[in-house]
Amino acid sequence: MSPLIQVKNVTKKYGGLTANNDISFDVAENEILSVIGPNGAGKSTLFKMISSFVPTTSGEVLYRGERISNLKPHIVARKGVVRTFQETTIFKSMTVRESVVVAQHLRAKASLAGYFWGSKAAKEDVDAFGKYADELLEFLGMSPISNEQASNLPQGSLRALGIAIGLATDPKVLLLDEPFAGMNHDETMQMVDLVRSVRDERGVTVMLVEHDMPAVMNISDRIVVLNFGEKIAEGTPSEIQNNEKVIEAYLGSVDDEIGM
Amino acid sequence: MGFSGKQLMGVGIFLFVIFIGVPLIIAATGRWDFYYTLTSVALLAIASAGVWLTFYIGRINIGQGAFALIGAYVSAILVVKAGWSFWISLPAAGLFAALVAILIGLPILRLRGVYFAMITLVLTQVATLTALALPITNGAKGISSIPLPSGVSIFGIPLIPDFSSMENTKLAFYITACILMIVTYAALYRLVNSRLGHLCRSMQQNEELASSIGVNISYIRIVIFAISSFFGGIGGAMFGSIAQSVYPSSFQVADSVNFMLNCFLGGLGYVFGPMLGTLVLYFGWDLLFEFGKYQMLIYSTILILLIRFLPNGLLSLSIGKGDKK
Amino acid sequence: MEQILANGVYLGSQYAMIALGLTLIFALMNVLNFAHGQMYVIGGFVTYTFYGQWGVPFVLALVMSCVTLAILGALIERYLFAPVIKGSAREESTMLLAAGIAFFLDAVILLVFGEKQRGVPKIIDGVFNYDFKLIMPYDRILICFLAILSIVAFIGLMQYTKTGRALRALAQDRTAAQLMGVNVDRYSMIGFALGAMLAGLVGGLLVTITGVNLGMGGPTSIKAFMMVMIGGAGVISGAIWGGIILGFMEAIGLALLYQYGDITYLLIFVSLMIFLAIRPQGLMGKPWG
Repeated sequence: MSPLIQVKNVTKKYGGLTANNDISFDVAENEILSVIGPNGAGKSTLFKMISSFVPTTSGEVLYRGERISNLKPHIVARKGVVRTFQETTIFKSMTVRESVVVAQHLRAKASLAGYFWGSKAAKEDVDAFGKYADELLEFLGMSPISNEQASNLPQGSLRALGIAIGLATDPKVLLLDEPFAGMNHDETMQMVDLVRSVRDERGVTVMLVEHDMPAVMNISDRIVVLNFGEKIAEGTPSEIQNNEKVIEAYLGSVDDEIGM
Repeated sequence: MGFSGKQLMGVGIFLFVIFIGVPLIIAATGRWDFYYTLTSVALLAIASAGVWLTFYIGRINIGQGAFALIGAYVSAILVVKAGWSFWISLPAAGLFAALVAILIGLPILRLRGVYFAMITLVLTQVATLTALALPITNGAKGISSIPLPSGVSIFGIPLIPDFSSMENTKLAFYITACILMIVTYAALYRLVNSRLGHLCRSMQQNEELASSIGVNISYIRIVIFAISSFFGGIGGAMFGSIAQSVYPSSFQVADSVNFMLNCFLGGLGYVFGPMLGTLVLYFGWDLLFEFGKYQMLIYSTILILLIRFLPNGLLSLSIGKGDKK
Repeated sequence: MEQILANGVYLGSQYAMIALGLTLIFALMNVLNFAHGQMYVIGGFVTYTFYGQWGVPFVLALVMSCVTLAILGALIERYLFAPVIKGSAREESTMLLAAGIAFFLDAVILLVFGEKQRGVPKIIDGVFNYDFKLIMPYDRILICFLAILSIVAFIGLMQYTKTGRALRALAQDRTAAQLMGVNVDRYSMIGFALGAMLAGLVGGLLVTITGVNLGMGGPTSIKAFMMVMIGGAGVISGAIWGGIILGFMEAIGLALLYQYGDITYLLIFVSLMIFLAIRPQGLMGKPWG
């Protein structure tokens, strides 16, 4: 079976700086794949290119064989590849439930005009959105806070809200941007379980960018390691743990090599 | 989506006041000039509704004067030079303003925050200068002695009477302006509470996140800006018809700023905010007329104090009373 | 050609000063100062009163313009902008306040100075004439020189003094500046006063050439906005470039298209829009800075 997502020779340059250089890897359906690397390794840029938030300088990203790079973000989202953000990017003055309802708009059957006139299809949509929002929040364990305003939520809940918004769009692939950042061990383990259940119970393929090594080793089927914009390794968690290049990168000895 | 009894009663009282209460009071007091003031309020409120709508997608629009001016000129030219009926020229003026908004919006809607505010302000100046420079707008002389709206009848049944045969055009214009305003705000209310409104709100709060959930933000921006300018064009065209003339100075930078002030003062979180803001600002300005040369000083002082002590708008004061949000 | 260049330098230097004040206020407080043009007009009227009416030496009158506007700016910041910024749910409320202040200053100007166009006696007589290719009255040359001197002094102040460094830190990142121990409230006030002072100074300089009247405020603000957009909002080098570019465009446009009247400004506006479509952040601005 062909891979769900193919990253093919993707390069990104900002002026003279190369953020990503000739990166290629595949993501299989129903996989949890993590992209890791030290700060400034180009992980976030890579994610932005996959979701078309920034264009690639060269190379392309394919989803089911179709190019999804260098398009508009909303088009990629409509195809089913949806990214989440870190916790500051939320709909501040909406409640949790409102955010999840609005994120379902892609599932709408009625037209915008239909909503304006209050057509039957629109009313059915509104009911369906509400029902699904409640179900989704239940699944994520967020029912108790569903009527809280987003700006009042603590950090951990904001992260979950980000994932809820992403899931509400009914994605096939979810790109999570540092879902464990700033969490303590218990919170991280809860989030690991949550991400896993998203994959197991909803059939969503998950890609994530992360710093937290233990969590990444725990959750990932496979890992891609970036350093200074280059892919230096790819493999299962145990392969990565024993990869010399990766160890070097994380110990910082690469810095000396660059200085040559 | 249903309306509560309280809301329906509010709307009922509102309609009663503007269509029966106000004419009765004016007839009793003989202050016929109030019709002109209230008509102006209604028309300015329509244009302000457009500004409010652009704010709903997170853009501060100080360019509504440009679209009101475009609307006024389009209607005047169609009526005077092409001999159209005013009632057809009115939607045409709105549509033309919307078309211009689409063309201009394509480049400038990418700008955000202060940049968008500044460019729209400049736009008002451009509209004035264009009106001065183009031959069809007659330069500084403008277009004057525009005929009053003619009658409309379908199958011999008169729908709208001929304004020029009327004794009291003030009342007729007042009624027309109020109907237009009510239709505008009803449409605005529906729009804000429909899916398009929810998408606008998501964009207002975070455009990146909105596009990540599949919202075509550039498309919605254009649609909203076009609707907003449509309101501006309609308001401007109606104004031109009442004044029976239009000049490059009919809508200027100060008018654009006032449209924005109406929205801010009423409160940006409330659909009916711009209506209230327009009423308070315009009426306030009118009432201060008695102070002669101190009019502007008192007006601006009150304005500054209002913002100083109620920075979130008038409606932020009264939760409960008249909150039709 | 020489004439156009000279006019461009002259206009550009005045405009750059106006834009500098506006951009400084914007950079420090994220406030779009609608009242900037009115501040410029007040500066003109103060110099008119001291120099034109009471016969005080011109330089002293200029100083009075600066002092008046600095005090006015400081008061406006301290008692209006600072509390509104703190108390408002939306940043945009400051825009409303700025518009209110613009109306207020217009009203004050009307009451105190009236509607009439006012001029002052020439500060120096005579005209510089280079073979009829370049004709420039001496007073324009002097004013241009003074404007350039002020710009250099302003840049020096921003670069080399403690105040300037604090202001730059504040403009870059408010929170970080606060953490570094910059007294944010105090320097916001100083910055606003400085921005207003620049407007007043140009007003005082230009009253000797163009005179001053009530109606100049709004159009001056609009020109200042355009310069800031050309250069990039909140960037000092951008404001200077914006001023120079607008000055030259005006000088060239007026020379080549004078028979068409207002078409120069129309063309400038249209090209600005096209420019912003390609480069929304202006020449020197950071994207969405």
